[in-house]
Amino acid sequence: MANYLPAMAAFAGFYALMALGLNLIFGLAGMVNLGLVGFFAIGAYVSALLTVSLHWPMLAGWAVAALFSAACGAVVAVITARLKGDYLAIVTLGFAEVIRLIASNELWLTGGTTGISAIPGPWRGEVSPFAFNLIFAAIVWIVVCIVGFLFGRLADAPFGRVLRAIREDEMIAAVAGKPVLAFKVQAFALGAAVLGLAGALYAHYNAYIAPDGFQPLITIYVVLALTAGGTGTMRGAILGAILVMFLTEGTRFLGGAMAGLKPVQIAAVREGLIGATLILVLYIRPQGILPERPRTLNLEPR
Amino acid sequence: MTLRTTRRAALLGAIAAPAILRTGLAQSAPIKLGTLTPQTGGGGPYGPLMIKMAQTVVGDINAAGGVLGRKIELVSEDDQTNPDAGVRAARKLIDVDRVSAIIGTWASGVTSAVAPLCWENKVMLFTVSGADSITKLPHQGYIIRTQPNSFLQTTRFGQHIAEAGAKRVFSLAAQTPFAVDVYTRLTEVMKPKGETVGQVIYDASKSTFRSEIDQALKAKPDALFLNAYTPDLTVLLRELFRAGYEGKKYTLAYAANAKLLESLPAEVVEGLVSMAPSPDIDSPAFKKVQSVVGADPDPYSCQVHDHVNLAALAIAKAGSDAGSAIHGAVRAVGNPAGTKVHRAVEGLKLLAAGKEVNFEGASGPCKFTGIGDIENCKFRFEVAEKGKYRLLSVS
Repeated sequence: MANYLPAMAAFAGFYALMALGLNLIFGLAGMVNLGLVGFFAIGAYVSALLTVSLHWPMLAGWAVAALFSAACGAVVAVITARLKGDYLAIVTLGFAEVIRLIASNELWLTGGTTGISAIPGPWRGEVSPFAFNLIFAAIVWIVVCIVGFLFGRLADAPFGRVLRAIREDEMIAAVAGKPVLAFKVQAFALGAAVLGLAGALYAHYNAYIAPDGFQPLITIYVVLALTAGGTGTMRGAILGAILVMFLTEGTRFLGGAMAGLKPVQIAAVREGLIGATLILVLYIRPQGILPERPRTLNLEPR
Repeated sequence: MTLRTTRRAALLGAIAAPAILRTGLAQSAPIKLGTLTPQTGGGGPYGPLMIKMAQTVVGDINAAGGVLGRKIELVSEDDQTNPDAGVRAARKLIDVDRVSAIIGTWASGVTSAVAPLCWENKVMLFTVSGADSITKLPHQGYIIRTQPNSFLQTTRFGQHIAEAGAKRVFSLAAQTPFAVDVYTRLTEVMKPKGETVGQVIYDASKSTFRSEIDQALKAKPDALFLNAYTPDLTVLLRELFRAGYEGKKYTLAYAANAKLLESLPAEVVEGLVSMAPSPDIDSPAFKKVQSVVGADPDPYSCQVHDHVNLAALAIAKAGSDAGSAIHGAVRAVGNPAGTKVHRAVEGLKLLAAGKEVNFEGASGPCKFTGIGDIENCKFRFEVAEKGKYRLLSVS
């Protein structure tokens, strides 16, 4: 158990980072990005390849992973500049699948479905598995706190205000003289950078990545985390990620209480419980657990 | 308020459940084995039977007095056919349940992702995944695989095609990461008796393969190797029939399933040979699997049957339930000089009496190479005649 908890904390951290990245893109700027696992994969592959094939130091790998992912994010934002809502969702979903197919088929670069193994991790092998988990969980959560703080500041700054304006009505923001496309590209790139960084950390924690690991399921979990936590607030994103991880992992331990059921039934009950709890959370608090406070003045006469 | 109560209750439940479990079990201290099979997701149809098989074997062993005087306890987790979820499930099995071995990982992606956790924590991993890369990981002997890898499969397929008298084989392959490797190996195996005369790799989602077939027939092959999936194989067979091809046709059993035979006219599939690795259908162990999962068991249930037996015998042989002990003894329970056994309950008695055992399972002889692959197993060849399969050989 002592080993298990830090490991799950690290996983919660990866999800929290992704939820933060998505929050900037979707929560603030209103762009429905269902391709976040694609950016996650880009970050993971870039850092893994740089450190494994070219023997770069890990920190450099993480930095380049974030930068490269940001560049991809900017390109996607420009390509999809005229798409909104469902259309943007479909295109970004397709983007993530394209990334996965590239990773499966460009054998010379990615090793195909065999994946990349023996990715280094900080002090892996030199310390006990328990200490490694603890160190990594600490690293991930420090990064989450830094990103959460910076994004929080960004959301309060004029930059965040423009993003919210764009989210509410692009036309009005444009009429107010804001360069809408430039803001959207910046928001997308920044969010993608964090998604890529999450992927890089994940690769170095797991020590192994393969295209199979980047299925849309992760996107769904992160979108759920953000919606349950509260779209638009950084604290909500982090809390949502913790909640989703707690639900998916905590429900494993209920198996012991369902002695009469077969394992396949327990698996089904577990998934049902996760779904039901999230529905319940959103039913009780449709705006999320920590919703965005309205920042507009009430101009209606009292 | 409602929310807070729910959360607190859930938290309490999550904390209390394992604690209750552990205090309850501490007195008898059973040997723990974990199954990590797909219960949901793409592998969902296979997982439940795999667990049922494992439970039956464990039940038999416990009824006969257990291993080293201790009962075996089976802990089952769902890998959701997803590497990300699989890693967390494996963490729980290793860190919380402290299992000695993990049994039954199915998807290659899950197995590869879980493997480093196993060798780092000295937990034995028994898998049914087929990807060649798995046993090439630096696993220090902590992986045992009962599924023949594609190298062994292609070797046996190639031998069969060569022995059937084919001289010029052309390969039509759906685009997969292994298509090139399979063709390279096929070329090597065909060598003394015949040769390969080319390969076309096609996009399986296309609705017609006329140009690919033209290209294949231009090479004047006397046999075609159709490394395909069911939907594209259906189209290929139909178009080959239309093109008047009358040579030999070979394909893989998972593509040429019963559904394919139903959906095509008998003359279109006539003479198609399907090839697949096969369990040892004459073995008493196979009969045991049949009695649990039905007359026509899938290969994975057979393999899981063998995994549990191997683990139990290895623990008895080593006299310890540590993962490293299974690691050390898993090859020693397949000692050709020992008495042949097909079930752990027979073998455990012999081991207790200080005798050597030679375990042979439902999936095959269960002899492993240095990197954990099986040395050999049976293969099944069937030919389609008048819309039905006729068994050619199991060898």
